[in-house]
Amino acid sequence: MRARTLAFLAVVMLLAACTQAADTTTAPTTDTGPATTADTGTATTADTGGATTTTADTGTEPSGGGLLGDIQSRGSLLCGVNETVPGFGFLNADGTRSGFDIDFCRAVAAAVLGDPEAVEYVPLDAQQRFTALASGEIDVLIRNTTFTATRDGGEGATFVTTTFYDGQGMMVFTDSGIGAMEDLANTAICVLSGTTTELNLATRFVDIPYTPLTFEDNGVLQPAFVSGQCDGWTSDKSQLAGIRSAFPADQGGPEALTILEETFSKEPLGPAVRDGDSQWAQVVDWVVNATILAEELGITSDNVDTFADTDNAEIRRLLGLEIESDDGTAVFDAGLGLEPGWAANVIASVGNYGEIFDRNVGPDTPLGLVRGVNDLWLNGGLLYSPPYR
Amino acid sequence: MTTTASRPVAVRWVKKNLFSTPLNVFLTVVLGAAIVYLAYLVIRFLVTSNFEILRVNLALFMVGSFPRAQLWRVVVALLLLAIMAGLAGGMLKAAARERSKDAGIRLAEVRGSRAVGSWLRRFWPLGLLVIAALALTRTLTPTLVAIAVVGLLVASRWLGAHLGPIPRRVGWIVVVLLPLAAYWILSASGLGWDDWGGFMLNIFLTIAGILFAFPIGVALALGRRSTLPVVRAFSIGYIELIRGVPLITLLLMAVFALGFFLPRDLRPGSVTRVLIVITAFEAAYIAEVVRGGLQSVPRGQSEAAQSLGLPALKITRLIVLPQALRATIPAMVGQFISLFKDTTLVAIVGLGDILAASSFANAQPAFNAQGLARITLPFVALAFWAGSFAMSREAGRLERRLGIGER
Amino acid sequence: MIPSARVPFWRDQRVLRVAAQVVAALAVFFLLYVLWFNVTNNMRARGVRTDFNFLDQPFGVRIAGSDLRPTAPVRLALLNGIRNTFALAIVGLPLLTILGVLVGVGRLSTNWLVAKISSAYVEILRNLPPLLVVIFAFQAVILRLPAARNPITPFGWFVISNLEFHVPGFRAGDNYRPFMLVVLVAVLLGALLWWWRTRVHERTGTPHHRWLWSLGTIALVGTMAYLILGRPLTITLPQLEGRVVDGGYRGLGAFFAVVGALAFYTSSHVAEIVRGSILAVPKGQTEAASALALSGFQRLRFVVLPQAMRIALPPIINQYLNYVKNTSLAIAVGFAEVTLVAFQAIGNGQPAPQVVVLLMGSYLVFSLVISLLVNLYNRHLRIVAR
Repeated sequence: MRARTLAFLAVVMLLAACTQAADTTTAPTTDTGPATTADTGTATTADTGGATTTTADTGTEPSGGGLLGDIQSRGSLLCGVNETVPGFGFLNADGTRSGFDIDFCRAVAAAVLGDPEAVEYVPLDAQQRFTALASGEIDVLIRNTTFTATRDGGEGATFVTTTFYDGQGMMVFTDSGIGAMEDLANTAICVLSGTTTELNLATRFVDIPYTPLTFEDNGVLQPAFVSGQCDGWTSDKSQLAGIRSAFPADQGGPEALTILEETFSKEPLGPAVRDGDSQWAQVVDWVVNATILAEELGITSDNVDTFADTDNAEIRRLLGLEIESDDGTAVFDAGLGLEPGWAANVIASVGNYGEIFDRNVGPDTPLGLVRGVNDLWLNGGLLYSPPYR
Repeated sequence: MTTTASRPVAVRWVKKNLFSTPLNVFLTVVLGAAIVYLAYLVIRFLVTSNFEILRVNLALFMVGSFPRAQLWRVVVALLLLAIMAGLAGGMLKAAARERSKDAGIRLAEVRGSRAVGSWLRRFWPLGLLVIAALALTRTLTPTLVAIAVVGLLVASRWLGAHLGPIPRRVGWIVVVLLPLAAYWILSASGLGWDDWGGFMLNIFLTIAGILFAFPIGVALALGRRSTLPVVRAFSIGYIELIRGVPLITLLLMAVFALGFFLPRDLRPGSVTRVLIVITAFEAAYIAEVVRGGLQSVPRGQSEAAQSLGLPALKITRLIVLPQALRATIPAMVGQFISLFKDTTLVAIVGLGDILAASSFANAQPAFNAQGLARITLPFVALAFWAGSFAMSREAGRLERRLGIGER
Repeated sequence: MIPSARVPFWRDQRVLRVAAQVVAALAVFFLLYVLWFNVTNNMRARGVRTDFNFLDQPFGVRIAGSDLRPTAPVRLALLNGIRNTFALAIVGLPLLTILGVLVGVGRLSTNWLVAKISSAYVEILRNLPPLLVVIFAFQAVILRLPAARNPITPFGWFVISNLEFHVPGFRAGDNYRPFMLVVLVAVLLGALLWWWRTRVHERTGTPHHRWLWSLGTIALVGTMAYLILGRPLTITLPQLEGRVVDGGYRGLGAFFAVVGALAFYTSSHVAEIVRGSILAVPKGQTEAASALALSGFQRLRFVVLPQAMRIALPPIINQYLNYVKNTSLAIAVGFAEVTLVAFQAIGNGQPAPQVVVLLMGSYLVFSLVISLLVNLYNRHLRIVAR
């Protein structure tokens, strides 16, 4: 008798599963809506199917049908961030977020939505960030991510202007007497997993025998290094500098640690967006450029309101001030799909590049980094924005 | 009692219980020394450590990045849950009292100082955790909230214990509705569970995981005992598949691969994805617990019901399941505890639970690079230990109460 | 009895049974098909490879404690991870059993302090998340040992630092393989003798001396083979030369952190099982043993424990399974067992779904084999019991 009951139960259970399943099948077959254009766009890079290409092309019209329009109608920006990188992205005690990368999230939101607070932060692991970007969980990835060819190509990401030029280095204890990479032969080296750091280490140490100790979390890696389990700690030099300058005095203070001279990789860190939506990529690109340009033009968050009467045409264009021409006055529109004055919003809310740098990682912060290559081209650095015209 | 009178007793006790044989002398000395040393280490840690990182970040550990302006929602939800717990406990007690009165048995009532003692034995670690947390706060509000929670617990328990049979029905409806109300209040400002973090997230994942998994688990357990070979095969296959792999691999599946299995438009947040996987995982374990309960119901029960002409569905629903589920209560609490502890794994796949909060705090400018995990991790451990310990004590008491061990 | 009371087919038990099963099977297969459809479509749409060819591509990074070069294929890296998981199991399972039995018996000790400490041990450990236990063992125990650059060398036999432990080991000589073959044969012979002596004992009641017989044979044959084959094995002590340690066996500090932590954690569960099982042995057994003038230890060893172990074995095997699954927590302290290797592979760009499926598969094989053995054993027990 019970058998029949069970049969009924099973049938009901499985029918329920069926109806769910039916829902799920219809979705992938009938989805041609504009919301998924970005995905279909990705398909063109993988396949060479002509049919998908056409849908992607018709979908990506510049009239705000793409991600930009979605974000504006949604009213918030989904920004993929890190929560455990000092100076770049971390959670404050009050639950808010701060950091160099976070400021760029805020800058993009200020440009697109006029409100730097209109950001929904999505914390991501190193391993899951590209999946999240490709699957549309986030609009933009600003999570100390290195711009590489594979990521640009195979992983379906498009990188825009680099926000921070970093390089991989090695930190050792000063009293260990290690002065060069070769001195680390037959020792253990601590490294975070799932990052380019790990791959670069393997490449640099291809002829030097060593034991890699791979950790998931700086919270476990750091004690391992401090207790001398590994002799070297390799990471981006900005991170190492941050650790070094904050090293507690009772353990010898910053002088107890030495960052070796050699930089054995290029780590250009910058925002990435999903492949297939060039309009959105341009928007993010120009937000970064605007902060650089603002520094070049001497616009800061403090004086951004004082340029109403300026004669400098580039400043007038950038800040969306009226420009006189033969047929009256007009506001310059670069055709990015943003409101005029977007750059003024950006600068008013997060400041120019120099301000962002100084506030989060500059000499007066615990990280204490100097500008170095991350200075304007005028000062011999690598920051160079195309003209805004 | 005077010391002179008790000394011989004490000496005898020590001799009998500590130094009876050479082996016992040895064990007592060695272990006693170890205990003293451990106590010294703990006291040194407590006295010499600077707990500033916990003091500043207490909210981060408890609720993650939940907006601080909305914290009143957490407080209200806590108060509602306290009422629920008290009411349910009180009504269960009243029901048990009435049942035993009907059966003509007088339950030994534990009252006064003995009742307090029994409470303390079960819940002192929770008290310790609350006191430790409150000692780390800088305002009076959390203390007042804690007092209010305890007050409501006691008051609603008293109320529940003194409700008549009819109001008690209403009471049970209230008990079911209160958590829903708590969830509604927590999520009303657009802060769904995907925005939750800290210890709140661990507790939520545990409760929601068990609740969602329970019906699936019961169905799987029935499926496993079904006489239909296909249904049985699928149930066994699912249960063994899930039980054969560590939760962490399933969580990896949740963050890396679940998106591929779902239709493209369906993009659940990370907490939702983890919750789906935890539910699927937990269902298999609950199925085994329920199967154990089903096996404990004597065959004669369903045979007797059959001879009364009850249809199969009713036999399962009215005769077998109630007895089976009652027998599974302690094992279910055990399952609850183990899921509670397992929720720490979500930190590995990038969710902001209380263990992840330890990493977050250690990345802040004020605390970076100072090796303060030695302060934050013990606090996290205390939170889990207190919760698990209290629950396992409660499970032990339930087991004795229900007399399941004696069968 | 009305002849026309034949049950209509929609209420016929047999028809319903078949129908229900067909529907169930269809539903499950349909669900699987939908998932498969989604996976292949979504992966292709996002430009993720759907095949397993990545197994032959270079892993890209080194793995601690292995000689694999970064150019070695992903396949070998994963196999190395599986080997490390296996090593965690081989070392940890005996350890946790011993600890569990000791503490379980300790909880019932007549020594008040031993009983209290044993129960504190159980109550503290089993209520902590194993992940935290692993992290604590790593940070609070292993990292406290001397740094890798100045290890200690107790007795000159060991080289110990928080990075690696080196212990004396064997080094294979010329006739290593034939010698191992002879030893294997000797062990089989020993087992055979054990069985024979047991039977003789059961039949005739003469003392069996099976330890003496089997171990004696193994020792005798082994020694003879060792002498005849001319030192096929030599013992080597770890030698510290600068930063390199030569000779002996070595294990990473993180390995011992994981083994220790999980053995302690799991033993707290085993102890509870052992205690429960001992209490489940009827009191009359102990009393009868006392009446035969057996000592406390003899009562435990020959009367109580054998019976208790029979009750305890199935749940203990369950704990073994939990232990093996928990070794995946080594990921938190950087020991390269299979989960960490899989994590690294995903982080370095290998397709996540396939890697995770392989990872789950490797745990499943292990668990299913143990499950099968437990079920067989259970069946065996049931037959004996009735």
